Amino acid sequence: MTTLDQPVEQPTAGTVSPPTKQIGWASWFSTVDHKKIGIMYMVSAFIFLVIGGIEALLMRIQLGVPNNTFLDQDLYNQLFTMHGTTMVFLAIMPLNTGLGNYIVPLMLGARDMAFPRLNAMSIWLFIFGGLMLYASFILGGAPNAGWFSYAPLTLKEYSPTHGMEYWIMGLTLTGVASIAGSVNFVVTILNMRAPGMTLNRMPLFVWMMLVTSFILLFAFPVLTAAQIMLLFDRNFGTGFFNPDAGGNPILWQHLFWFFGHPEVYIMILPVFGIISEILPTFSRKPIFGYAFIAYSGVAIGFLGFLVWTHHMFAVGLGPLVNAFFAGASFLIAIPTGVKIFNWIATLWGGSINLKAPLYYAVGFIAMFIIGGISGITLASPPVNLQQTDSYYVVAHFHYVLFGGALWGIFAGAFYWFPKMTGRMMDERLAKIQFWIMLISFNVTFFPMHIVGTQGMPRRIPTYAAEQEWAFWNLLETIGAFGIALAVLLFTWNMIVSLRAGQRASADPWDGATLEWSTASPPPDYNFATEPVVHSRRPLWDAKYPELSHGGKRRGKAKKGNDAEENVDPSTIHLPSPTYQPLVISAGLTIFSFGVVYLGTHPMIGIPLAVVGLLIFAFATVGWVGDAYKDRDIVH
Amino acid sequence: MPFRRPLLRGMSLAVLLFCGVLALSACSTSMPMSTVDPQGNQAQNIQDLLFPLLWAGLGVFIVVEGILVYSVIRYRRKKNTGIPAQVHGNMRVEVLWTIAPALIVLVIAILTFQTQRINADLVGIEDALQIKATGYQWWFEFEYPEQGIETATDMYIPVGRDIVVELYAEDVMHNFWVPKLAGKTYMIPNNVNRMGFRADEPGIYRGQCAEFCGESHAQMGFRVIAVSQEAFEQWLAVKQTPPEIPAGDPQAGLEVFNGRGCIGCHVVDGNDQAVGQLGPNLTYYKDRTTVASGTLPNTEENLAAWLRDSEAIKPGNLMAGAIQEGSLSEEEIANLIAYLYSMETSVEQPEVR
Repeated sequence: MTTLDQPVEQPTAGTVSPPTKQIGWASWFSTVDHKKIGIMYMVSAFIFLVIGGIEALLMRIQLGVPNNTFLDQDLYNQLFTMHGTTMVFLAIMPLNTGLGNYIVPLMLGARDMAFPRLNAMSIWLFIFGGLMLYASFILGGAPNAGWFSYAPLTLKEYSPTHGMEYWIMGLTLTGVASIAGSVNFVVTILNMRAPGMTLNRMPLFVWMMLVTSFILLFAFPVLTAAQIMLLFDRNFGTGFFNPDAGGNPILWQHLFWFFGHPEVYIMILPVFGIISEILPTFSRKPIFGYAFIAYSGVAIGFLGFLVWTHHMFAVGLGPLVNAFFAGASFLIAIPTGVKIFNWIATLWGGSINLKAPLYYAVGFIAMFIIGGISGITLASPPVNLQQTDSYYVVAHFHYVLFGGALWGIFAGAFYWFPKMTGRMMDERLAKIQFWIMLISFNVTFFPMHIVGTQGMPRRIPTYAAEQEWAFWNLLETIGAFGIALAVLLFTWNMIVSLRAGQRASADPWDGATLEWSTASPPPDYNFATEPVVHSRRPLWDAKYPELSHGGKRRGKAKKGNDAEENVDPSTIHLPSPTYQPLVISAGLTIFSFGVVYLGTHPMIGIPLAVVGLLIFAFATVGWVGDAYKDRDIVH
Repeated sequence: MPFRRPLLRGMSLAVLLFCGVLALSACSTSMPMSTVDPQGNQAQNIQDLLFPLLWAGLGVFIVVEGILVYSVIRYRRKKNTGIPAQVHGNMRVEVLWTIAPALIVLVIAILTFQTQRINADLVGIEDALQIKATGYQWWFEFEYPEQGIETATDMYIPVGRDIVVELYAEDVMHNFWVPKLAGKTYMIPNNVNRMGFRADEPGIYRGQCAEFCGESHAQMGFRVIAVSQEAFEQWLAVKQTPPEIPAGDPQAGLEVFNGRGCIGCHVVDGNDQAVGQLGPNLTYYKDRTTVASGTLPNTEENLAAWLRDSEAIKPGNLMAGAIQEGSLSEEEIANLIAYLYSMETSVEQPEVR
């Protein structure tokens, strides 16, 4: 998207970076710049978000009236499977990763991520994984067993198409991307903070990205392992989940939800971070209870690994097991409540600047509270037995993941758009979109609590008129189109603002963190001189030295840092662009296509897998060579 | 400020909507699958737990959203507002709002564990009627082991007696759910689950598979038919004797049934050839409340439509592979219906609840 508006004074990074590769469309394929990669994440994830939204609209049309025959049942099953998979793995997660990719190094005062080439590999694996998953639609049918793919329905006998293989291998690719991305975030955050930025002074968004990355490192490999086990069950005669072979299908549920519940926090914690950045900026106050917000995030991360069985209360694991996991789930309400109270306390007594990012941040808190409350009833096993697998739970997780995560991402998008593009987004359009989205979101998802309470099961493509669910379902369908309108407005706003938006200064919102101390958009090298940090609000201290630290350390914040020493940008060495991450990812993708057909069509599968591995091997050698060329770069 | 009034209006609308919803779902007695219209002990216990949770939730909602909206409006930036006091935190309020939610969830946890124990104990009742339920793609089978009876889709129970259902699955996972009587319990291949409940009022209660189980998951319904103790015993007595097939069309239908392969999948008591185990037991079929596992009312037209083209009613079902559209002539269909409808227990059915 920024190709439309490249900064004029595009610096060329001298000896190691040929200038021709830094600009133009081809540069996107070889870039290792965290900002470009962040934008690629966000743009591709936004496209997947729109696709997932279209799938949702199709389903809403089908459910708008009883006994509808707009979609056939199998297609409906494919759509809800792909909708869930897309929104979780291809939309919300990578939108967070993209924002993090762009913003975290800037907040840290760093020039790039710790492993720029690995970062490039992550984006390509993510894009290829998503495309591979969608290729299933034209290659024999998409997966159709629901996004959590419970065995034995996912075994070959009951899901004979290759849809499941595409689901397994496509998500394995995005999983590798995510794991590599997490390693990158952890190393970047722990090692590349500007001088003086202790862990205790890190912006809360960085804190939450750190916690998220650790959660992801522990959770995602479990999913990948389970998927490979399922792949073997389907193709190579193992029996992990196959009851006929003595396996136990409940094992899949444990493995999946051991990943799946932390996954919820992988999606929501970065958003907690976004909100914790926006509220102070727009209230002109420091965040209230910094340590409590940071540590409650850590607490949520830990507890998130102890509650997976609350997705399985109806499975029959026994009252004792259910009671333990119910107790752990209730506990999560405490740190979550602490966060919400601290956010409200940040607003309290502030000078609240009612701009679009704040609207969306407040909308996030308002909607997330509702999702939290419905979460309490679901965490109570007896009540859960009535509400689980009904539309009540559908309402709950849309309030958490749409009302929560996605609203927060919108807030972040409005907040950082000027930084990324050098243009402001249109405030009026943003606020119109806010009200349309607030109303239609609630019109769509609130009635789902009602029909769920009236006994409407989830994942049914049709229902009888005598169930009396029709009124609410029609209302939900109308609301869904309202949401579509809001997303269209957002898209329009982005395009218009990119072309003709008001020019943004380096610090349009009067921010406090380091990303606002460099130009909008930032130069390739982010900061000409390394910033030095003395507090949690380095930029605020520079702007309002008399107000920093409630006056306690008045005068200590050095103004001297602002006076830029004249560093010649051409002397800054940045990692060179390289095609190897793209080639490696292509190799792994071809290999994955091969794996899809290994069991059923070895004549197709084996050659593809071999070719893919060969490409992977050659590109690895090339990668090492490229890395050697950049050996003199010290972060 | 253009912000203030629309925000207030929007928020009060949301609160109104929320309250309206609670009122509506609380008095939804006509809904055949309402979870808040309990007609038995298990569902009643759940509702008695749900309502305090919902009221607590409503309280939290009003207080927290109220403070949120108030603070945004009260502290919005005005002209000449200077830089506000730079408050970094306050240990006392942090402790307060850590303890307050902790106390709320502690109470909720205690209530939860109480209800959990009460409902779990329903499984252990000694003189309960034992029924074995098995889920297939996409129908339910019910066995009464002590009485030696097997049936499908309609589960008869006596009102006021404790029931313990043992749950099995033959192919993929299913989920046994009768919202007005009991919450969900999975049916899992190679595993046994038990759940206990009692129906306090006679009636036909709607049940549904609640775990996605493949293409026609939506068409996997069943009914629990709660009748008086006498009617139940009468039903048992008739079910234990094989039906007599009268001469004429029913006999012709029996020949179709035996000659066109139906016997390969369906059991009919008294018919020595009908021993197949893949499909539902069809003994006393006229009693069935529905065709195709709760999908359509059991009428001649619906049954004929099912026999003509079952794929159109329940895509992917096993019978659609054996009997396609046009496989059976109209005369054969009419005779089959005459045969199936000749088997009737004549037990009076309660009203749909």
